[in-house]
Amino acid sequence: MADDVVRVSQQQTEAIKIKKWKVRKGITVSIGRILLIYEQANAENPEQKKLKATRAGIIHQILAKEGDVVQPGDPLYEIKSCNHPTIMNDMCAECGTDLRKDDSPQITASVPMIHAIPDLKVSEEEAQQIGKADNERLIRDRKLVLLVDLDQTLIHTTNDNIPPNIKDVYHFQLYGSKSPWYHTRLRPRTHDFLQSIHDQYELHICTFGARNYAHMIAMFLDPEQKYFSSRILSRDECFDPTSKKANLRALFPCGDNMVCIIDDREDVWSHALNLIHVKPYHFFQHTGDINAPPGLDKHEDDDKPGVDLTNLVKDTEKNKKTDEHEDADTNNVEDDKDDKNDKPDEPAVDSTGHKETDTKTDAPSIDNPDNAVEKVEESMSLEVITSEEKNTEDEKEQSNKDNEKLTKVENTESENTRKLKPDDNPTEQKKSIKEDNVIDVEDPDDYLSYLEDILKRIHQAFYEKFDTMESGKIPDLKQIIPSVRSRVLKGSKLVFSGLVPTHSSLEDSKAYQVARSLGAEVLLDLSDSATHLVAVRPGTAKVNAGRRRKSLKIVTPDWLWSCAERWEHVDERIFPLNSKGSKNRHPPPHCSSPEHIPSYPEHETPGLRKRTLSGRFMDTINPLMSFSRDDIANMDKEVEDILDDESDSDGDNLQSTQIDNEEEDDTDVEEAKFAHMIQTEILDPHNQELNASSTSGIAKSLKKKTKRKRLLENENIKEELPSQRFRRGEYVDDELENVDRDPDDNDSDSFGAPEESDGEWNMMGAALEREFLSD
Amino acid sequence: MFFHISLEHEILLHPQYFGPQLLEKVKTKLYTEVEGTCTGKYGFVIAVTTIDSIGAGLILPGQGFVVYPVKYKAIVFRPFKGEVLDAVVRQVNKVGMFAEIGPLSCFISHHSIPSEMEFCPNVNPQCYKTKDEDVVIHAEGEIRLKIVGTRVDASGIFAIGTLMDDYLGLISN
Repeated sequence: MADDVVRVSQQQTEAIKIKKWKVRKGITVSIGRILLIYEQANAENPEQKKLKATRAGIIHQILAKEGDVVQPGDPLYEIKSCNHPTIMNDMCAECGTDLRKDDSPQITASVPMIHAIPDLKVSEEEAQQIGKADNERLIRDRKLVLLVDLDQTLIHTTNDNIPPNIKDVYHFQLYGSKSPWYHTRLRPRTHDFLQSIHDQYELHICTFGARNYAHMIAMFLDPEQKYFSSRILSRDECFDPTSKKANLRALFPCGDNMVCIIDDREDVWSHALNLIHVKPYHFFQHTGDINAPPGLDKHEDDDKPGVDLTNLVKDTEKNKKTDEHEDADTNNVEDDKDDKNDKPDEPAVDSTGHKETDTKTDAPSIDNPDNAVEKVEESMSLEVITSEEKNTEDEKEQSNKDNEKLTKVENTESENTRKLKPDDNPTEQKKSIKEDNVIDVEDPDDYLSYLEDILKRIHQAFYEKFDTMESGKIPDLKQIIPSVRSRVLKGSKLVFSGLVPTHSSLEDSKAYQVARSLGAEVLLDLSDSATHLVAVRPGTAKVNAGRRRKSLKIVTPDWLWSCAERWEHVDERIFPLNSKGSKNRHPPPHCSSPEHIPSYPEHETPGLRKRTLSGRFMDTINPLMSFSRDDIANMDKEVEDILDDESDSDGDNLQSTQIDNEEEDDTDVEEAKFAHMIQTEILDPHNQELNASSTSGIAKSLKKKTKRKRLLENENIKEELPSQRFRRGEYVDDELENVDRDPDDNDSDSFGAPEESDGEWNMMGAALEREFLSD
Repeated sequence: MFFHISLEHEILLHPQYFGPQLLEKVKTKLYTEVEGTCTGKYGFVIAVTTIDSIGAGLILPGQGFVVYPVKYKAIVFRPFKGEVLDAVVRQVNKVGMFAEIGPLSCFISHHSIPSEMEFCPNVNPQCYKTKDEDVVIHAEGEIRLKIVGTRVDASGIFAIGTLMDDYLGLISN
């Protein structure tokens, strides 16, 4: 293809003497570039002249040395014809060749390196060069790359009707005067955040919004274009409608070692290790992520018959009624104290027994005793709702009952909890509008200050490591970020009480994983070395025993979640265990990052690497890129390799499910892709589990395996493929895990068990205490 | 390159305009329909200078619309390979820069920018500049470039340019 080397000979009429070559071997020249400076060899008064390239290409060989006298017709250099390293609009940007013509050589340029111009493509070699230069520049400036998500990370946008006079809300139309209005609220402190972070990070926008939208928001965030410049990647440029990961390889062809990501969704980044999972910003009611990836049911959030801000401002009472009405509509589940997480979600009692129905699950429920209405946010991440919010709501509603016109009559504790909630409730914000009846909305969200701190720590850690490394090596943020995270609670030894169901192993629980990812040790029993007791309720045996130990700090799980959210050791005094206890047995969605467990990379990263056997970044499953035959053969081989590896590692059971899946997914490539992802996801906790519970767990895990198999079969029958749910953004692995915990007894309250046993322990403890006292 | 050429265009007129202002309407319609458009053959129609003749209108059976064949002269802009033009830089990035020559967009690869000019992403606005900052090319700057290739579509023209020649580059005032 590019191998037709042309030997260029001296075209002058007289012999020339080469004074100086201006190019060297391997360099790309375009037409008109000065190749060498020469003078007439025989002239009396030699005048220096420049020889320019007459054709574009790569200098293959230089045949005449400096100082040589070259006769006319003698060879000067060899040039490889242009291999079109940069292509714009199917036209080579070096030589101007039209590549749409039939006789044009095969196109090699396939990497769209510039965010907003997908038409402009460069070849891999070129991309590597540019990427390398980028990295060098970043190192020189001691910067890192930060990919910033927009929706619900820095801003919240709605297309509902809202009053025009709310502070810090931008209103705009994208498609002419008849198009819908959008209203965007910047997260509090956004400008400060960008200002302070942009010294240390090169900021890129990476959003699923349309291009217009992204650029519009960028105008709000950065009117002078000093933060983002033109580094804006939008949906229009995304290769994959459900993942942002694919573009990473194009934007950073030299690898994402220096790339840090902030996003409110882990799934679109395939749970990358260099992702900081941000607490979603939620300001407008009834609006989820309006730019959610397709198939993720943004409409469930979006189109919910909602009360708008106008109503909220005008009429609290009416609003309440609407809420109540809506609640009744969406979910009539009565809310008992303990069934939060295992309440059967109406359409959910299928074979999996644990299907979360997106926002419906989050739909409010009615608190019986008070008849108070709970209004729970539509969590955009479509995950298991944490009872936490409801808790706040409980308190909130109760106080509301006491005093309808309540302004700020919250006791300090509820104030605290409210402030520190990992998942701030939009309703609350709304209420603050109601209460204060002002349009300058009080927004309790202060997450960006924590995020800023996290990012600064990561930056510091990166360059500390860089300075200690030998030159030429660059540390990998995919290791730095988890390690920074694991310093948060280093040295703490936690004991859980009432947090993990008794019949599931500690290592499987989210709480354990969160604690481990923060670097804390988790002890099974209350030993002398324990520093914290994380208890859901007072009165458990562990709590009672722990009360006698002065040094032991007894906290609610909220403390742990709060640490996980802010990546810092939060003061334990804010989360004392009081008589009410806490209902937040499960971490809020944005805290659950089991992938961040330090041990995780050891067996996951190689897997990821394997996919690019040739080490080339373009070997991705990206339909928009052009592949040579070699590439495709390479990919085929990779797929085979991966399949082989899997069947090796996971034995018979999964192999059979794999076959099931394969048969099923033949029709749909995408399906297969997701199914594959899910399989790896299943594999993973599975492996951990095997490692962790090797003492007791082999028989158990075998049983689980069979159950899992059964479950997968069930699923296949049910037509509800895991991939479908995965697309909706639910955590499939979690569900599968939960399901295989007890697929047989769906009805039984899976979290009731530990309660009961804990209760028993309490009783026994109490009895013992009484005995001691009476003595 | 600019040309002053004769062109033809057919104006389709709705019956509501049949009246004393009919010919005026045809003329205004010609201006709006033709100016600013781009054809692959003639390039961008910049301005209609004269309207030479408005032919006999032909009523379309069944519709009532009338078609007028119009002959006019217009100034057109048609870029050619090898042409040297002045342009305004629109965007610079690490792969090259985009410039506009009136209605024509043009891309210049960084290989076609003299190698002594380096891309500087950290300054605001981003630019290509020489080490001693003698020459700084950034967005909104005026440059002279040579066209090395054009892509002519039915609806537009896109050009590839280079700065690698004598007297090309930043136009200093």
